[in-house]
Amino acid sequence: MVGQTPDATGTGPATAGPGDLVFHPDTRQRSTWTSDLSVAEAAAVRRVGLVPAGFVMGTAVMQLAAAGGQLYGQWGGMMGGSLGRGNGYSESYPCAHTYGYSTGVGLGGAASEHYGFSVEDSVLAASLTDGYRLAIERLHDEATQLGAHGVVGVDLFFENLVGSQGTATFFARGTAVTHPATAPLPSPFMTNASGQHFERLIALGYVPTGLAVGVGAVYVQPNCQARGDFTVGGAIRQIPAAITVARSRARSSLAAMAHRSGEGVVHTDWTDRKVNRYGESWDQLAIALGTAVRRYSTEAEPLTPRPVLPLRP
Amino acid sequence: MSPSTPSTPGIGTALAALHEPFVPADQHTFVSDLTVGELVLLEEIGFRPVDIVSGAGSASWNPQFTTAGTEGTMWGRAIAAAIDNARSGILEELRTRHADGVVAMRLELERERANLLTCTMLGTAVHGTGRRPDAAHPFATTLSARDFHLLVRAGYHPVGIAIGVSVVGFAARSASQSLGLARDNVELTDQTTALYSSREKAMEMMEREAAELHADGVVEVQLQERPVNSLLTHAVEFVAVGTAVCRGSEGHKDLAPEFQLTLDDPPGVTFSDR
Repeated sequence: MVGQTPDATGTGPATAGPGDLVFHPDTRQRSTWTSDLSVAEAAAVRRVGLVPAGFVMGTAVMQLAAAGGQLYGQWGGMMGGSLGRGNGYSESYPCAHTYGYSTGVGLGGAASEHYGFSVEDSVLAASLTDGYRLAIERLHDEATQLGAHGVVGVDLFFENLVGSQGTATFFARGTAVTHPATAPLPSPFMTNASGQHFERLIALGYVPTGLAVGVGAVYVQPNCQARGDFTVGGAIRQIPAAITVARSRARSSLAAMAHRSGEGVVHTDWTDRKVNRYGESWDQLAIALGTAVRRYSTEAEPLTPRPVLPLRP
Repeated sequence: MSPSTPSTPGIGTALAALHEPFVPADQHTFVSDLTVGELVLLEEIGFRPVDIVSGAGSASWNPQFTTAGTEGTMWGRAIAAAIDNARSGILEELRTRHADGVVAMRLELERERANLLTCTMLGTAVHGTGRRPDAAHPFATTLSARDFHLLVRAGYHPVGIAIGVSVVGFAARSASQSLGLARDNVELTDQTTALYSSREKAMEMMEREAAELHADGVVEVQLQERPVNSLLTHAVEFVAVGTAVCRGSEGHKDLAPEFQLTLDDPPGVTFSDR
């Protein structure tokens, strides 16, 4: 049959891997291969010429260090400058009713509710990026141990599975695949594209190299207008500015990560999330997870699809 | 750059390429949220991804501003401003990247509270190989990659997003009226009229926008209507967003689809459950 044991590829079981710290990849003897491919995906992978080597996984439980950026930002924003960490984005949004902040403290103190600021939460972005990175590295280690040429259909996500509030469990799961006739690669490729999409990618002349991650986070303490106070209606700047900054950070770190290994990123799974924080404030998150690709051939056959119209109701 | 030697596509050559280390040069790294299938559809009609582009806009309004029988202009204008700001944001990003347009865009209208709306757009900027001479005016479109592929093959091209927004208020019924009417079968003409007139006004605005873009028509229009009924507010909101398209110089091209008859039974025929 087609199952690939580590020995069959000539690498032998690894004795010390990059993840040697605690997390020994699964090194039990395998009598058959496992996978999380659907039947159609498995067929697509076979058509390309690859065979499944085994189901692989990387995981990491992380404490998300979000509070740091917020606390610094809170005071940095009030002063109108950035005490920030690094030189991230920060912007203050005075009261739209033009109540002065200092006046507000003295007379009635209403203005503090009207005052807003946004500050980039690079600490949160970094801890999310770290979580993904660890999960991906461990997935990669397992695939290397299996002597695989790559991993297809990687599912990359996080959830609150283990641990208390403020922790997140990161997962990377996929199916390692091998090409029986080829010597192992220096580093197996990884893609979050399904088996069928992988087949199309190869046909188009691109080969996946690895996963790329980009995260952006902006902590938003809304001013009166961004809180929806209808006495000051009209276009609001604070919310779209926070979304734009978070998205642009995610995009540029995604591109930077991909730049090292390929010419572009496809299949980006893009998530915008609003995570509620203290009071009416929130973290505006943008998370982008994609596949870095390299063009290996410029002689791809045209794939011009034929238009069809099914007659079934 | 990766090896420039032309080679036939296949897993053997692909893996051989991966054996050679990738040397990052000053290449432009494209970023896209296209699936591989979408990438194929775009490359087939001569479009290459450039970058992910985005736009966002928010606005709030005073919901009490609407009075019976009059259009809530502030309210309607606020919603239009939020969508328009998102649209100009994404167009600006397209211009800075010298892209031809954005496809497979997701457009989200998020209502955060009763009177606060945020519109976000995110999609992949594309560059066409000599398809659109009008590079100074990039297009935005609500079309998916599949629909964009079909549109271009049929001889059309998108020119922009056209929006139409209208808010129309209607008279509140008094308590005695409500009680009196509860026993009758009557049409609430005020409310029917409000719905009609908000539709009319929104479509008028959409047509005006499409005409400004010199479009032949608008496709893929998404409609959102929302009655707002509360103690202080009685209004109908109507939001329409679509893609303005132009026919190319060669006119409509027949795609001549092949009719297909699937041999499996329609659901529910063979087995009652599915």
